[in-house]
Amino acid sequence: MRVTRILILVVLAVLCGAVSNLTASRERRLAWVGGYTLAPRGAAAPAPGPAGVTATTPGSASAVTTFSPHPDKAWVEIDGDAAAQLHRQGVLFLDARRSSVYKDGHIPGARSFPVWESDIDARVKALFEEGRDQRAPIVVYCSGGDCEDSHMLSEKLYFVGFDNSLVYKGGFPDWQKRGLPVSKGDQP
Amino acid sequence: MAAAIPKILDPPAFAHMIYNYKLAPGWAINALAITLPWVELLAGLALILGVWKREAAALIGLMLLAFIAAVGINLARGHAIDCGCFDVRDAGKTEAQRLADMRWVIARDVGMLLMVAQLLSATRPSQSRYNI
Repeated sequence: MRVTRILILVVLAVLCGAVSNLTASRERRLAWVGGYTLAPRGAAAPAPGPAGVTATTPGSASAVTTFSPHPDKAWVEIDGDAAAQLHRQGVLFLDARRSSVYKDGHIPGARSFPVWESDIDARVKALFEEGRDQRAPIVVYCSGGDCEDSHMLSEKLYFVGFDNSLVYKGGFPDWQKRGLPVSKGDQP
Repeated sequence: MAAAIPKILDPPAFAHMIYNYKLAPGWAINALAITLPWVELLAGLALILGVWKREAAALIGLMLLAFIAAVGINLARGHAIDCGCFDVRDAGKTEAQRLADMRWVIARDVGMLLMVAQLLSATRPSQSRYNI
């Protein structure tokens, strides 16, 4: 047995993997997820949005009074009752699951922010550039249970300056279990 | 090779699976997700074509050892996961189903490891009888 041959196979695999990932479609290309630890805020965060811009989502003002910003932590977990209430108030919902799963069914109005796909940072940046009130609540969800995609997305939102990310712990399965409305397709 | 194809077709899903094991550091997850399936594919291809058989078998053996350890550690700490061996989609299984599957995965991998050992043994270069 030659170690050189094993190394050649591994190097070949690395090259094939790199080419494969580079040429993959957006939905099947890897995003850089990095460590699952809170990133320091500040230095690398983009500049603040346009001055004087406030929350544009209807009802978000009353939601703010219920769910106040938490600049000391990336997320706060909420249950299904709170999620349903916030949904009625028109608070922004973000779906952190894969885009293919989002198409199969999602919370009406929720935007797709697939945390494992290659353009997640671009989506977060675009959301930031909309000039939303960074203290207004944003509900983030994934598949419930031990799914942590919503926590990862909250971390990204926190990093760019959103201070009121609320993780819907039960996620989409809980939403369905409650018999609440569901939308299909790739549009919110 | 059958295990490699779904992972190659959907690296984000496989990266997610690796993340769920809670063993690899964050910086290694993507590198593993991109490289590991190709190692599986190339090693499998080498075995089928009869090229560098011992090296390919050794690589597969090393990967099986790593898989057994990874699943075993999670089983020992009661952390139910989808193994992501032949399918990288979220199967929507219950915790009990996942834990049961993990035991089967270990048994299957040990079986495959025995096959690798047999292959390495059968392809061992013969010792010269004059080389005493």
